[in-house]
Amino acid sequence: MTTDRIIDTDLLDHLTVPARHHELGEGSRAWVRVDTSLRIYWHTLFDICPGLLMLDAPDGRPSDGMSIFRPFMAFAAERALSFDWSYYLWVDVWLSASPFRDRMTMDLRLTLMGAAAARWAITDRGPDVGIVLAARDPYGADPLALPLVAGWKPASMETGREIETLDLDEPLPAPATPFGWFTTRGRDLDSFPGWADLPL
Amino acid sequence: MQIGFNFTLGETAPMIRRLIAGGRIDYVELLIDNFLAIPATEIARAFDAPVGLHIMFSKFIERPEDELQALAGRLRAIIRATRPLYVSDHIARFTHQGRHLLHLAEIDYVADFEQVAGRVARWQEMLGCRIAFENYPSIMDGGWDAPDFFRRLTARTGCAVLFDVSNAICANHNCGCPITDWAPVIREARHFHVAGYRPSIGQPAITLDTHDQALADDTRAALATCRDLGPPPDATITYERDDDIDEERIATDLDMLRAIFPRGGQP
Repeated sequence: MTTDRIIDTDLLDHLTVPARHHELGEGSRAWVRVDTSLRIYWHTLFDICPGLLMLDAPDGRPSDGMSIFRPFMAFAAERALSFDWSYYLWVDVWLSASPFRDRMTMDLRLTLMGAAAARWAITDRGPDVGIVLAARDPYGADPLALPLVAGWKPASMETGREIETLDLDEPLPAPATPFGWFTTRGRDLDSFPGWADLPL
Repeated sequence: MQIGFNFTLGETAPMIRRLIAGGRIDYVELLIDNFLAIPATEIARAFDAPVGLHIMFSKFIERPEDELQALAGRLRAIIRATRPLYVSDHIARFTHQGRHLLHLAEIDYVADFEQVAGRVARWQEMLGCRIAFENYPSIMDGGWDAPDFFRRLTARTGCAVLFDVSNAICANHNCGCPITDWAPVIREARHFHVAGYRPSIGQPAITLDTHDQALADDTRAALATCRDLGPPPDATITYERDDDIDEERIATDLDMLRAIFPRGGQP
């Protein structure tokens, strides 16, 4: 920085490209401001999916999450991922191509899908009430290895969002990309509009 | 001054009903974003008390016009059904170069004024009502520009300010801007927020608006300053608590608020 006066807007690139964090100088207010924001990204992932913290790192030591978080954030910055509800699914995409690939379990992948559906249900401002997610098996063995996951916006003042797995009478085709999704105006899934690709 | 409590999701509804029944609060502030998929008539009858509508993620500065129009149509239906005490929203950046920020960013109050004023006017037009916009818990030095920005914004657009007392305290801790700089804004404000804050983990600690603590002493002093600037009897102050929900401690803070802002006049 060339001036003593720093406003929040000056830090936007550092907020979205963590590799630039060190440029702010550890121990500065700007550094702490960005550090605080990055902690929110960390908690948004690991508080919702704590099982990721149980994965051993590639060198065999227990992971503190940073061996996932740092390289994923770099991956996200390179691709300019939007960090909307698809954040969790992109983590799965990265994990499935990473040294953690063989440590992933169906439960962990379902947790990430549920987190994505929940985040859509609480952040989407459009008129749709639900989202349905499907995963393509990255290992190629069974395209239906993971069930469909649905997320529903709160339907009453007394309840929150709802997440469920779906078991349809008529199976849907597997998506062509790592994840497919569609949204719906009602809870009756009586039509299939086709899978949309995972958004950047 | 009317005292309210924020309602964000279903699990605190029973506690809020007890606060209403016990006379501790006069109204409920609905974080309306969370309830957009619920019929407006059901929202209107959720509590036996008036409501305020607080919008968190309209992203009205950044959202495309067609999406904003669609959102406005649904919000207008809720406004018609609930006849709220106020409608409020946020002046902040939610994205950067198309990427969502998980921690809201503060705007550049000088460089962004014209753009934001234009969007504020348009958003009020779409909703068909005056909107009260909340001040940001500034961390960096742009916080010094905030009081004049809000003064100019209300003059330009006719909007109101939802003056968040503890956000101004956070800004004072972080960048030094004193509460007295806000006096011209506070004199005109009819709607207020207040909550607890705590320091960040990183050092040097910055003060974060966390809504998970009891009201601090300097927040109480700032509340007295606001009272002394003469809000009208029908003004509102919402106590925000989103985490560490403990009914007894919340009641203690609400009683303290009532002591500062007693029904029917000065303490």
